Amino acid sequence: MDSLAVAESIGLRQLDLELRNIRKRYGSFTAVDGVSLKVSKGQFVCLLGPSGCGKTTTLRCIAGLEEPDDGDILIGGKEATGDPPWKRDIAMMFQDFALFPHMTVAKQVGFGLEMLKRPRPEIAERVQQVLTAFEIAPLADRKPGSLSGGQRQRVALARAMITEPRLLLLDEPIGALDYSLRETVMLELKLLQQRTGISFIWVTHDQNEAFSLGDLVVVMNHAKIEQQGTPEDILQRPATAFVAGFIQGNNVFRGKVLECTAGNARIETAAGTFTVPCLGASLEIGATASFSVRAENISDTVSERHPNRLTAHCTAVEYFGAVRRHIFERADGEILKVDQFGAQAARIAPGQSVLLGWQVEDTVLHQGTRG
Amino acid sequence: MSTIRVRSAASYWLAFPAAVWMLGVVVVPIVLLGWVSLWGGRTFSPASPLTFDNYTKFFANKTYLQLALTTVTHTAVLMAVTGVIGYCIAYFLTMKVKHPAWRLVLFLAFVVPFWTSTLIRGIAWVPFLGVNGVINQALMFTGATRTPIEAFLYSRFGISMAQVSLYTMMAAGPVVYMLNAIAPQLREAAMTLKAPPLVVFWRIVFPLTLPGVVIGQVLVFLNVMADFATVATVGGNKHAMLPNLVLLFYEGSQHRAASVVAVLLMVCMLIGVIAAMRIVDIRRLGAER
Repeated sequence: MDSLAVAESIGLRQLDLELRNIRKRYGSFTAVDGVSLKVSKGQFVCLLGPSGCGKTTTLRCIAGLEEPDDGDILIGGKEATGDPPWKRDIAMMFQDFALFPHMTVAKQVGFGLEMLKRPRPEIAERVQQVLTAFEIAPLADRKPGSLSGGQRQRVALARAMITEPRLLLLDEPIGALDYSLRETVMLELKLLQQRTGISFIWVTHDQNEAFSLGDLVVVMNHAKIEQQGTPEDILQRPATAFVAGFIQGNNVFRGKVLECTAGNARIETAAGTFTVPCLGASLEIGATASFSVRAENISDTVSERHPNRLTAHCTAVEYFGAVRRHIFERADGEILKVDQFGAQAARIAPGQSVLLGWQVEDTVLHQGTRG
Repeated sequence: MSTIRVRSAASYWLAFPAAVWMLGVVVVPIVLLGWVSLWGGRTFSPASPLTFDNYTKFFANKTYLQLALTTVTHTAVLMAVTGVIGYCIAYFLTMKVKHPAWRLVLFLAFVVPFWTSTLIRGIAWVPFLGVNGVINQALMFTGATRTPIEAFLYSRFGISMAQVSLYTMMAAGPVVYMLNAIAPQLREAAMTLKAPPLVVFWRIVFPLTLPGVVIGQVLVFLNVMADFATVATVGGNKHAMLPNLVLLFYEGSQHRAASVVAVLLMVCMLIGVIAAMRIVDIRRLGAER
């Protein structure tokens, strides 16, 4: 083996998961289309997207519950594409927790260790430890039917974590919980993940979950990955019109390229003509293009720093505490969102027409002409 | 939600017709049976003194006791056979047949024969099992035997074969229901916890279908214990079970003896059902998800 191959194999071993061009079809419907992903050791990865985008199917392929038509799955650097679920170094938490209704909490949590043929005293001891760690020790002899949603969630998590798998796959794990519980549970899970160093693959349609938890966020749409990166990456620099539109607080503009000079492009839209930084992208004159501006980057005190300007009609103001969101109607009939710090006094009232502006560098050009 | 309150006048009126019916055709006849079985003396009249003599006579007769034992063992064998075959059919239909159209076709093929009456289906076995019956002719045609096998018809074996075909659906039906109620995620969760398929079945699927198995067994038990028609037609006059004895006494106008056997049969069934309820609380069927 030459040194390059050695280096590569070491590099692979450091990845907890690698997907190479996964494809999955159901009849004529393509559920997952060419998804590639690399998860390093102990990473928290969130698969984010609208329902039906293929995120759950991707997760099920990783678990071995679905077999991809094409592509490779490597878990811990080892080829696992053809392995059944019970031979993979994973555990999974299901959306409705999938607790076994006929088993007590203790039996349930010990199930994974039983399957690994650990001696009984060891199982009993370890179950006791884990139940205590998850604060569900008093429930040991209860059956799932008599537990609350939050308790079930803990039991499901304890059951999945007890064997300390390389990967924990979570399919909308807190979707079934009350809103008031979610924030606490999210924080606990994040701390748990950091403490154990187990890689989490977390599927969700909730962007708050994805951005507050994920080290790596993968946005999917129509069976494909639209963008993957850190939360900052995706929030600050959405790569496509879909990502920009899917993520709250973005204003998306679509238009045609008028000219392209000195790193900036002029793009004509139905709401006006705006200057957008190209950042090395080569744009053809006359090609369609889209860009976005975040709501908090639009100002109502326009100065010469704001060459991108438009006048819009305010239709509603929503107050969220941290921000005050103004809903404007653009000249082309679309909605424009403008955020202001909630601590500042209200300046714009519904019914007013206001001149708004933003800086060139706050404008994000999207890849391709899709959308 | 129901707008009829518990213990309101309306609820009692709704229960009234069924209550009258049950009283008339179930409760009163059973009480009468029990009463008649205790009649002593020479005359057959309500004025007879009450005694256990009729029961003593029954238990003193070795042939009758042998018959009772045969009935119980025969029923146990049938429960075992229909239980295993029924579970396999139920599992195959719900878990293995993935295509909805195929599932419907197979389900109909399985269920439609049961739309004919039990008696006719019992009798229909006679031309199959006889010396010149379909099975023997097929065996001789293929050269499996030279002479026809007489053991099929008018034998315990023939009775069992006919009854297995009659009652397997009763064993399978409740299991189909319970299997359908198992969320697929439960099996998937077990698999991701490193349980291979056989372990998933034994630790997850089977325990969750146990109430269905028990109900199926109760249905088969009650039906086989009470089945005199199949025994009479397929078994000829050579074989009898307890219910045939009831018929025999009745036709011989020995009403007191007939009542005794009927009461004993009922007691056996009651014990069987109570035993089943001890294993699984059938009333809680479907309450656990």
